[in-house]
Amino acid sequence: MTEKERKWKCGKCSQVLTLQKVVFDYLGHTFSHEVPACPKCGQVFISKELAEGRIAELEEELEDK
Amino acid sequence: MREIIRKTYSVCPVCLKRIPAVHAAEGKTVYLEKTCPEHGNFSAVIWRGLRDLEAWRGNLPEIAEGENENCPHACGLCPEHRQGTCCVLLEVTKRCNLNCAFCFAEGGSGEDIPFAALQRQLHDLAEPGKTLVQLSGGEPTVRDDLPRIVAAAKEAGCRYVQLNTNGIRLAADKEYVRALAKAGLSFVFMQFDGTRDPIYRTLRGRGLFDIKKQAIENCAQHNLGVTLVPTIVPGVNTGDIGNIIRFAVAHSPAVRGVHFQPVSYFGRFPSLPSDSRRFTLDELLLAIEDQAGELVPGDSLHPSRCDHPLCGFHGDYLVMQDQTLHPLHKGQSNCCEPVTAEQNRNFVARRWQRPDAEDAKEPAVGDDIETLEGFLRRICSHSFTVTAMAFQDAGNLDLERLRTCSLHVYSDGRFVPFCAYYLTKQA
Repeated sequence: MTEKERKWKCGKCSQVLTLQKVVFDYLGHTFSHEVPACPKCGQVFISKELAEGRIAELEEELEDK
Repeated sequence: MREIIRKTYSVCPVCLKRIPAVHAAEGKTVYLEKTCPEHGNFSAVIWRGLRDLEAWRGNLPEIAEGENENCPHACGLCPEHRQGTCCVLLEVTKRCNLNCAFCFAEGGSGEDIPFAALQRQLHDLAEPGKTLVQLSGGEPTVRDDLPRIVAAAKEAGCRYVQLNTNGIRLAADKEYVRALAKAGLSFVFMQFDGTRDPIYRTLRGRGLFDIKKQAIENCAQHNLGVTLVPTIVPGVNTGDIGNIIRFAVAHSPAVRGVHFQPVSYFGRFPSLPSDSRRFTLDELLLAIEDQAGELVPGDSLHPSRCDHPLCGFHGDYLVMQDQTLHPLHKGQSNCCEPVTAEQNRNFVARRWQRPDAEDAKEPAVGDDIETLEGFLRRICSHSFTVTAMAFQDAGNLDLERLRTCSLHVYSDGRFVPFCAYYLTKQA
């Protein structure tokens, strides 16, 4: 988690986000990854860096040619 | 009694004139039938009915009245061609160090094209930062200056440089392999017809299996990915398809995949064949499933969307530590949405090229492909493809397929679809 991310709070619960392992499905595959999430409601925060970095790479690899 | 299920155009195998043709079904088997006013009737099997042809082909239109009327004789490319260039093939020599029973290029002897002329052609054909050029022949490695040609291709802006080779020199000359890698060679397509020497003796005139293994090892030392390219010939190696896949997987990550080519009859071949000597795409699909279904489930192979679905298929996998394959694309592919030649090029090249040596190392943390990081690491180091390309000859040429071809031969300033370039008259 970056310094900036440590300061994020959940908009609904006002809880400071903590790093949690989350599971997501994409094009028939299941992955886990640690992302900041609300300890109370579980809402996750996907940073721009992650979306445009590793997740974009994953999309490129899994989109059928 | 055969039923006409589709109309298209082809050529007369004797005079190569463009003539109407039909797909005619007898039971589930489909034939390409055509009549030349001068040379008579011709028929060639194109589908054995082992898969549903209509489902495999998808919703592609037939050639309409007035379309592609100059095909294939004005090839190079005309405005009516329906696909861009995915890969461009450049012949760098006519010479060869084998004398195979089957050879699309009808290699032989003669003066090599001078380096300066090749350099000019590379500049003319390259679209900087994009082009995938295949250096082909003859056998390109008979040229001592091939590393210089590879460097010239990179200087011209080619993003990927592929070598099409029989592997003989790569096995014998480690320094040559080093020089090719240093010059910027991206990956190797190596003729690999089976895992037993009798297959090579029949098709290539001598036993070559140990040589193939050595070539792979030498390429691995320089981080050059090798894709194995079997020519599949009925009665010779159709029973070795599963062994070829298992061999390839066992040699991952140096080996990046298998690219099957059912035999086609152009260039040098004995004569246009009877149907029993053809091996259709659906026969290949079934053979893969029958012989290596534990590695390559049938539903992991998808029709080509860059070229025509009857021209080939692809499957993408990760090689796991226990030497199983983990399919990346399962179930039905969306065959109705074509992809561009550029999308296809980047996709396949990422699979066939090995990552930088540092990234290519075996991940320390086993097969943790259930984590995002582990999955991306594994895909970087241990990608594997099973692909096929069914080339067409004068007997089974279907212009509906030809007009979507994305593999082009560069010749005299023109990009000519592969099967049009090598089209050979029946003697």
